[in-house]
Amino acid sequence: MSLKRTLAITKKQFLSIGHDPRSLALMILAPIMAMLIFGFAFGTQPEHVKVVIVNHDHGTLASQFINKINHTDLDITTSTNKSEAKNQVKNGQSVAAIIFPNDFTADALPRLAPRGGQLLPPKGTKITVFLDTTDQQLSAVVNSSLAAASQKMESGSGSSLPITFSTDYAFPKAKDAGYINYFAAGIMVFAITVFTTLLTLLAFVGERTSGTLDRLRITPANETEIVVGYELAFGAIAAVQGILLLAVAYFVYHILIIGSVFLAGLLIVLTAIDAQIIGVLISAAAKRESQAVQFLPFIIFPVFLLSGIFIPVQSLPNWLRPFSYVLPTTWAIDGIRDVLLRGWGLSHIWPHLLILLGFAVILSTLAIVGLKRNRQ
Amino acid sequence: MNTDSQKKTLTFDNVSKTYGDITALNKLSFSIAEGELYGLIGPNGAGKTTSIRLLLGLERPSEGRIEILGHSPSNRAHYSEIGYMPQETSLYIELTVEENLELFGRLYGLDRSALKNKISELLAFVELTERRKTVVANLSGGMKHRASLAVALLPEPKLLILDEPTVGVDPELRQGFWSRFAEMQKKGITILITTHYMDEAAHCHRVGLISSGHLIAQGTPNALLKESQAKNLEEAFLKLIKREAIK
Ligand SMILES: Nc1ncnc2c1ncn2[C@@H]1O[C@H](COP(=O)(O)OP(=O)(O)OP(=O)(O)O)[C@@H](O)[C@H]1O
Ligand SMILES: [Mg+2]
Repeated sequence: MSLKRTLAITKKQFLSIGHDPRSLALMILAPIMAMLIFGFAFGTQPEHVKVVIVNHDHGTLASQFINKINHTDLDITTSTNKSEAKNQVKNGQSVAAIIFPNDFTADALPRLAPRGGQLLPPKGTKITVFLDTTDQQLSAVVNSSLAAASQKMESGSGSSLPITFSTDYAFPKAKDAGYINYFAAGIMVFAITVFTTLLTLLAFVGERTSGTLDRLRITPANETEIVVGYELAFGAIAAVQGILLLAVAYFVYHILIIGSVFLAGLLIVLTAIDAQIIGVLISAAAKRESQAVQFLPFIIFPVFLLSGIFIPVQSLPNWLRPFSYVLPTTWAIDGIRDVLLRGWGLSHIWPHLLILLGFAVILSTLAIVGLKRNRQ
Repeated sequence: MNTDSQKKTLTFDNVSKTYGDITALNKLSFSIAEGELYGLIGPNGAGKTTSIRLLLGLERPSEGRIEILGHSPSNRAHYSEIGYMPQETSLYIELTVEENLELFGRLYGLDRSALKNKISELLAFVELTERRKTVVANLSGGMKHRASLAVALLPEPKLLILDEPTVGVDPELRQGFWSRFAEMQKKGITILITTHYMDEAAHCHRVGLISSGHLIAQGTPNALLKESQAKNLEEAFLKLIKREAIK
């Protein structure tokens, strides 16, 4: 082994990096970005979990209790109507409805005996929690905040209060849904997104570098036909992948499939189409395959950390959350969870479909305009 | 051949193209008449490929005006009337020769049976019939070039643009290529061809000599020989370039 030759190879590598400032920038930026997003996303507990409180208490104890609830953990709105509050949970607007009964105070405190001035022990009271357990990280925050508030009440009053919780489930079939049910949608969307973006990115960079794209462009085929042609191919591949992934999730992990498999599949196909066009768009910025691959971290980390796969979007820091909503994957994952765990149908899911479709239309238009501008 | 009286198939009018500080084309002007077989000759980096890319609308000129088949290059209307063979192979290397031909044939709008006939005819012409099921990646360099030419000949073009079609092709087949080009020209197809082989330039009706992005001489091969008082085109080419350099 010759050191001189070895160093010549080393030097060549530095030279090619030096000729390629973009690669250098990406090499430095990608890990920093990953670190930052990881830190911000995982560094925070789920917070601002939306709950709705119905306080029917004639006394003041419920208000005291509510004041003890940590208002950072739970984002509280109030309602006077029990069934309306429950509907909010069923619609996914709130994670829980917390209901205090009429005689909450009366039943929690010692009462006067009907005859004579004797004090009888309290009758005991209960808070009804109408809970959505499809996202267990969020429902866990509700439970722990209520338990903490209850403890504070007791240490405040110096005695134990006879308050119990009774939990009703908004989606009874998902009552015992394990984490896998929650993650399954995220992992599927993540896998399909990364795979599809990478594949189109490489295919399109190949089209550009090999000259085939130029050759296509001087046939009667126009840019729209080229982009839509690709979309159909990747949409079809994604449909097959989606079916396989759902099958694995169902047969191996026994995930709950309460809603329509077809609807979940449709969401996956739209996800792939969005991912594909993102690949086409990035390909415009890459001159070679090696550059293309360097863009991948900029897809993987945001999708992984910001689209609600592990960390509920609700619990991201306020300034980071808007980034979640401009990722198609956030909508796809949310929609697939709604279908699989809540059993929601088209009447609830159409906004998700529309948003994913909107992404496809807007991104495709950008890709097509980009290709056209490149030509003239 | 008096080109002024004839209809122009393509025209370059004072066209310049710069990439950063590199001037690829410098006030290039020439035109090709309908039905002509025109050879664009010049050293490496002279601007031959650049002119073709501008002509096809793949890039925009920095200055000047180009017209092709009566349109601006960015107009798509004429795309079905052009056959184009790029200098680089530019085929889908993971597809077979036949699959490449089928793809581009469909894009040119050939129907199934016409396409089938056309493909077998072209495969026979470029002598790749036996290799039609081979993926392009596994062809030899010259074979790739031949497959690329076959794709360029798929449409029934009014104008055929060939960027060094004979590079790396063996002499016998090269001769076959040129008789095909001559045949197509006789059918009224206009052909623009670039080459480094001077003996090939002799097949052209007119030759344009381009150097540093500028046209330095143009005429029939005989006229160029006379002008430079050279024995053959190779010598004429070298003399004309030297004369330009002295100027
Ligand atoms: N994309 C580009 N960016 C920068 N410079 C370019 C680009 N394309 C071409 N050039 C430059 O333009 C000049 C003309 O190149 P062109 O490819 O037209 O030459 P050519 O006559 O076809 O040469 P050859 O006979 O080697 O094929 C060269 O100096 C080349 O470096
Ligand atoms: Mg060239």
